[in-house]
Amino acid sequence: MPNVLVDEGLDKAIGRCRVARRWRILAVTIAAAVGLTTACSAGSAEDEGLTKDGLIPFINLGGYAPGTSPQRNFNPFSANKAVVGYTFETLYQVDQNGCTEHPWLATNYKWDGTQKLTFTLRDGVKWSDGKPFTADDVVFTYEMIKKNAALDLRGIGPVLESITGEGNQVTMQFSSPAVLLFSKIAMLEIVPKHVWEKEKDPVTFTNPDAVGTGPYTVKTFNNRQMVLERDPDYWQADKVKVKELRFTKTQQGQTDQLRLERGEYDANAMFVPDIDKVFVAKDPQHNKYWFAPGGVISLYLNLTKAPFDDLAFRKALTSGINRQEIADKAQLGYVETASQTGLILPNQKDWLDPGIDDEGKIGYDADKTKQALSDAGYEEQDGKLLGKDGKPLQFELKIPAGWSDWIQAGQIVKGDLEDLGIQVDVASPQETVYNADRESGRFDMLFGVYGGDCNIHKDYADPLASGQSAPIGGKAISNFTRWQDGKTDDLLNQLASGGDEKSQQEAVHGLQQVMMEQVPNIPLWYGAKWFQYRTARATGWPNEKDPYAASSDALLVITKLRPAGS
Amino acid sequence: MRYFLRRIAFFVITLWAAVTLNFIIPRLQPGDPAESIVAQLTGQGAAVDPDQIRAVRLMLGLKDESILAQYWEYLGQLVHGNFGVSYTYFPYSVTHMIAEALPWTLVLVGVTQILGFLIGTTLGAFAAWRRNSRFDSVVTLGSQFIGALPFFWIALLLLYFLAFVTQWFPDAGGYSTSIEPAWSWAFVGDAIYHGILPALAILITAPASWIIGMRNNMVQSLGEDYTRLARAKGLRVRRIALMYGARVAILPNITGLALALGAILGGTVLVETIFDYPGLGRLMIEAVTSRDYPLMQALFLFITTGVLLANLLADFLLGVLDPRVRKEATVR
Repeated sequence: MPNVLVDEGLDKAIGRCRVARRWRILAVTIAAAVGLTTACSAGSAEDEGLTKDGLIPFINLGGYAPGTSPQRNFNPFSANKAVVGYTFETLYQVDQNGCTEHPWLATNYKWDGTQKLTFTLRDGVKWSDGKPFTADDVVFTYEMIKKNAALDLRGIGPVLESITGEGNQVTMQFSSPAVLLFSKIAMLEIVPKHVWEKEKDPVTFTNPDAVGTGPYTVKTFNNRQMVLERDPDYWQADKVKVKELRFTKTQQGQTDQLRLERGEYDANAMFVPDIDKVFVAKDPQHNKYWFAPGGVISLYLNLTKAPFDDLAFRKALTSGINRQEIADKAQLGYVETASQTGLILPNQKDWLDPGIDDEGKIGYDADKTKQALSDAGYEEQDGKLLGKDGKPLQFELKIPAGWSDWIQAGQIVKGDLEDLGIQVDVASPQETVYNADRESGRFDMLFGVYGGDCNIHKDYADPLASGQSAPIGGKAISNFTRWQDGKTDDLLNQLASGGDEKSQQEAVHGLQQVMMEQVPNIPLWYGAKWFQYRTARATGWPNEKDPYAASSDALLVITKLRPAGS
Repeated sequence: MRYFLRRIAFFVITLWAAVTLNFIIPRLQPGDPAESIVAQLTGQGAAVDPDQIRAVRLMLGLKDESILAQYWEYLGQLVHGNFGVSYTYFPYSVTHMIAEALPWTLVLVGVTQILGFLIGTTLGAFAAWRRNSRFDSVVTLGSQFIGALPFFWIALLLLYFLAFVTQWFPDAGGYSTSIEPAWSWAFVGDAIYHGILPALAILITAPASWIIGMRNNMVQSLGEDYTRLARAKGLRVRRIALMYGARVAILPNITGLALALGAILGGTVLVETIFDYPGLGRLMIEAVTSRDYPLMQALFLFITTGVLLANLLADFLLGVLDPRVRKEATVR
């Protein structure tokens, strides 16, 4: 089956150089099929150069909506929406890599205590239908989210008590300290009251006209392609240098990768094996990638079971897993090994407790681990490590079926633990079964992901807060290991209460100590945010040297793009 | 009359069984669709946000109800033709998604299956009439050869040579990327142009089995005593071939055609996947792989109902065409 799709992709590329003679097309075809650069990847003359007003004519950004038959759904609060990041804007933009705040529809904000927040709105912003943007729109949007929990993907409703607007000021009152929730609160897409108030049910509204304040409006949409068009009246139109954004349906199998290799996408996000050879080498001058760390992937132990309820055992394990081998082999060297602090480094290095050695990165040392295990009272017999009950230790490591890189990482963990005399079976149930088992605590070990949010409280609370847990058999929200610790909860509360920077630092340092000393889970590596881009048409993409935003921060990136060579 | 009533009763009972199974099977699957949706959006290497799962669960209207209450609700919805909303395409309903895909499959597969049947049956009848002629051996051997080839392989070859090397036809989709679907000549023309390759793929393979079936049946019916009697009576050759040979020989093929047409509702999964054609087959594969239960349920129901209805129709038709079937029922 993949071959079919491969052919289809190849033909698309060749379709762009139809002038070529048939024999040449055949030659190109064969060349492409064996993986060489196509002779026509540079494109026709029309693709080159700029429009009369100095804009890049178009860039292609890949997929745009879920499913094989993309549907017109521009409801920014729907989980199944099409790409709306270029159409709707937020009060502030908080970049999802370094968490810097950028004034957007609001020019500034002020906290009054920890539960009252006032935004000053930008003047002169217009909706794409020409009507002015006002405080009414902001108040309407937040109230609608509060009223309809099904639209509340960010979880704002439960903390937002009230919102009022006056002139260009919008004031929000929260039911609990909300300082740390700023990125969540400020990043809600604002929609026009005059369009949405006519809708009876905003949950099922597909918002076909997509009236927004953003730099692009929808030009065409069908099941195969979406085209967004630059709005010349956008409030900061001078910063937007691309006339059209094109999106083409995500293809199954290898087709997308082949299209990427051929330079059809100016930017995309996909897993590509051996990317230096497969993608970069095709056009080293223009083909680039940046795999920023996205989340902490961690070994979750079921803390209600022996021997995982034994701190000495958990602590011994931290040095018993070869993280570097996982990063290099299972993750193809695309990722970094994780710090036991639970922080994502280097992104969150400002929070790092300087008293912790080596930034909390624990090296692999099998001998040390063996010693620690035997010191803790785990004896070895015929090469098998016995538990305190005298039976050989034997666990199951669950990983969803088909997650092949995780399964490979699981095999490395299995090998490392078997060197210690611990028998491990890597089981791969269906993802839905896996989710259900994880929730209700039916597991010995599994890989969990947390972190990567600009709200440092959430990063720690999701895996560690006792409120996110549940007894075995009950549904845990996100604390799947069932970590219950009074000190941890106190530190989380101290952090959430929104004290000054010193108190926050103190709390976060305390949480890192918990991670280091109590080992509620064992971070292994940082999951990567896949991002490939080409600088042939546009430059200014975020990258390792200039990580001004995450690749997914649509507005921050599009306002930075400039024509190549300028 | 009794024959027809019995057929209808049988149809109703089977339909009920199918509807009920269709309700039970997806519910045996563990797991929460809201979690799958959010996990898909988030990607494997990033943390899933519990707030998102909560919102999506509310959005999909997932309820904790007793299984019996759910069953009644399901039956009620079916009666009203309401299949719920698709998980993948929320807020678009399952009915919307199927309505969008149905015409593509219906036209493509319907036209090609009927054409394939007509061509195959005619060729088969000819081959049987001219038994052991050169025509017969070419047609019979040819269709056996083609019938033995894997379908996807033929489709791939077509795709490679006609879309890829020569670029005579588009390689994917039901219409061009730049066109807006509408009832205009431009769009219909574009759609037909995109449909030629998949249609060709079906038309090459579809007649083969009809040819073989028809030829074998007819060879047999031509050897029967009544045909020999007809010959002896000096009836015209045409009349013997059509009314004595073909009329009897075609009966099993009619059942076959009815079943094939019933199965159209399932789309032709292979063709539609290979040519990325926006029909029911592609939709079904997607529903299965992304665990879109409401969509899956409705599609399976469509297929079973289609096959059952076609079966009923075939039974009726046989009753009309073949007096023996009716007789048998009354004698019992």
